[in-house]
Amino acid sequence: MTRKTTGRPQLTRRQALISAVGTAATATILPDGARAATSAIPAKPARLNMLYATVEADSDAIKLALPDFQREFGIALHLDTMPYDSLQQKAFAELASQSSYYDIILVDTPWMPALTRKIQPITDMLLDSSLTNATTLDIQDFIPKVFFDTCVYKTDASYLHWPGAETIDPRAIKQAGFEIYGLPIQANALTVAYRHDLFSQPAEQQAYKAKIGKPLSPPGTWDEFAVTASFFTRPSKRLWGTTLMAGAGDWATDDFKTLLACFGGDGHMVNDKFETVFNSPQGVSALSFYVELIRKLKVVPPGTTAASWDTAATEFGTGLTAMSMNYHTETLSGNVHGSIGYAMVPKKVQHGPHFGTWMLSVNSYSTNKQWAMQAVQWFTGKDAQAKMLTTQLHPTRRSAYAIATQDQTLAGKFGNFYDVLGKSLEVGVGRPRLTNYADVDRAIWVAVNDAARGAAEPAPALHRAAGEVARLLKQAGYTH
Amino acid sequence: MAAIAARLVPTKFARRPRRPIGTGALAWGLLAPALVILLAMTIAPTMYLVGASFQHVNLLGTGSTFVGFRNYLEVLSDPSIGWSAAATLLFVALAVGIELLLGLALALLLSRKMREINLLTALFVVPLGVAPVVSALVFRVLLNPAYGWLDWYLQSWGLMGNPVDWLSQPVTAWIALIGLDVWQWTPFVALILLAGLQGIPSEPKEAAVVDGASPIALFWYVTLPLLRPFIAIALVLRAIEAFKTFGSVWILTAGGPGTSTELITLDLYRVALQDFNVGAAAALGICFLLCLSVVMTELLNVLGRNTDILED
Repeated sequence: MTRKTTGRPQLTRRQALISAVGTAATATILPDGARAATSAIPAKPARLNMLYATVEADSDAIKLALPDFQREFGIALHLDTMPYDSLQQKAFAELASQSSYYDIILVDTPWMPALTRKIQPITDMLLDSSLTNATTLDIQDFIPKVFFDTCVYKTDASYLHWPGAETIDPRAIKQAGFEIYGLPIQANALTVAYRHDLFSQPAEQQAYKAKIGKPLSPPGTWDEFAVTASFFTRPSKRLWGTTLMAGAGDWATDDFKTLLACFGGDGHMVNDKFETVFNSPQGVSALSFYVELIRKLKVVPPGTTAASWDTAATEFGTGLTAMSMNYHTETLSGNVHGSIGYAMVPKKVQHGPHFGTWMLSVNSYSTNKQWAMQAVQWFTGKDAQAKMLTTQLHPTRRSAYAIATQDQTLAGKFGNFYDVLGKSLEVGVGRPRLTNYADVDRAIWVAVNDAARGAAEPAPALHRAAGEVARLLKQAGYTH
Repeated sequence: MAAIAARLVPTKFARRPRRPIGTGALAWGLLAPALVILLAMTIAPTMYLVGASFQHVNLLGTGSTFVGFRNYLEVLSDPSIGWSAAATLLFVALAVGIELLLGLALALLLSRKMREINLLTALFVVPLGVAPVVSALVFRVLLNPAYGWLDWYLQSWGLMGNPVDWLSQPVTAWIALIGLDVWQWTPFVALILLAGLQGIPSEPKEAAVVDGASPIALFWYVTLPLLRPFIAIALVLRAIEAFKTFGSVWILTAGGPGTSTELITLDLYRVALQDFNVGAAAALGICFLLCLSVVMTELLNVLGRNTDILED
């Protein structure tokens, strides 16, 4: 109650005494999990409200863990879930109107640059041992890249990325003028799914060996990817090598930025100095390769230049392709008899799959900030994330991936997906931090889409997009 | 005599009957609920919109600052907005034009006295009951060249060799977009015109037939002129709705390929609800509203001219 972050006046001696008595009384009846919070929180709310994504961040996982949270903390947690677009609008509207209704808000990384004055920094709370449970929090257990990309921002310069290191040190973050704005709950990264049944068929293996001179296996490099995709492309049998997502939308930008990073470029596309680094030799090479897969090698099903995440999942699920790249586990439809394996997105000079992550954050207008932070800590904690694996939460902790890869039940259900996802997140690349990212994103996917369908050559398309992005950055006040 | 004189005096010189005291207050009292709702639901938001268009509104930051016409300059100098405006006009002209033609043909078919007509009418109205977003999702699947039905049947029947990548090229994407709108809204036009056809008196038709008019002449010189008010109503209602089309385009093409099917409503959505640039979105909305007002005024004039026939 006396924390600076609340902006409230200092307590009088009488209030402090009453508060202390209340706290002591509460502490004696609280279960262990909640006891750590009591020194700083005089009144436990009867209920906390959380705003969450229905599908994109796996609300089923939160629902699964809810009873445990309520049992441990004695607080009812009311969960509102919404699809992506509605969630963003709802979150922004709540924060713009300074509503205190939601104590905990799920935030997607592209939104955060606009929200650093509306989401409560929790660095101080994380550094306060009375508010944290060391076992549950174990901050070093988070995948560093995911943690830094999702949660660490500079309040007055939200475009800056934390110059990442392997160690997550809240104190160092604070001293450098950055803040931690939440804890990561779900991390989606681009992974390759392949038809394990096709790859393990002796006839296919022999044919591949005879044709290519190497054993058939999931491709490790983009050159191998092109070869393998070409090998499986048999349009007369309605089978193609892979899906790509070159349609008009964010997915095309994400495909491109993955290749850009793999080809040695900066996968953020726009760096912290506002340079349009996607318009580079590496960018042109990456987009040219992408276009070659679609237009020259024709290893993708027809319609790829209008394809999205859903289209790619449907094409792979209906057995039209031998490989696919997406951000979740794949499912084969009933009439396709086969099995699925997963692999990391290939590399050229390095790995660089796009990742998009979500964090649980505390509403700065909440009247229950400390309790909300405890809930955030608990839901992103080691035990909760491990439990949520069964409903396909994409965890943000290394310990959860270690459990997932050893658990035979999970392996039977999801194959090697968790193993691959964990490794992909370690080397993933996020987005630029721009308040007008939707516009920048659009300028880039238009270039990718134009090149993919042959309406423009890769180099001029990227050059034009760079000009448009520069104009947008100036319009948003980032440059002059 | 006085009575005759009174009748001869033009109406505008006639003395108005005196209203009883209190009638005005009663009238305003009766109008008040409607006026309050109008003020709250239409006028106040419009005033807010106008005010916001002159400000840099930072919903999530430090508040708003007056920026004069900067938002308007920003919006009007954006080349993609100009293209979107042109694309919107093209979309409305093509979609509504085709819907009027097909709706008229459908209405003529349904106006025939046959036993099956009721069933046919019910079937034709089905698209109206489907939400535009759902229609777009269905069309998106149907048009997919890899697993959609349309290309599969066209190929099976030997009507085309290679599958058509409908949503990947601007021309075919436009065909898909217009096709979706026409499929969805032609029944609406047909219903209006059917009502008009059923309301046409039989005497002029019988007189024309007696005079030896051919079926085409009968349609051209009798039916069509009498149907004009209903065509005008359908035109105005559909044009207003077509200008506001969003969900179906967002789902079916998302403005692509490239930006070839990007309508002004998609720009509004992006600026307002993805960038949360409220000032620019308000300026764009005002510009859109002004353009729409000009078009709608013309259309309402058309409606006014054509509905005179109903008063006659």
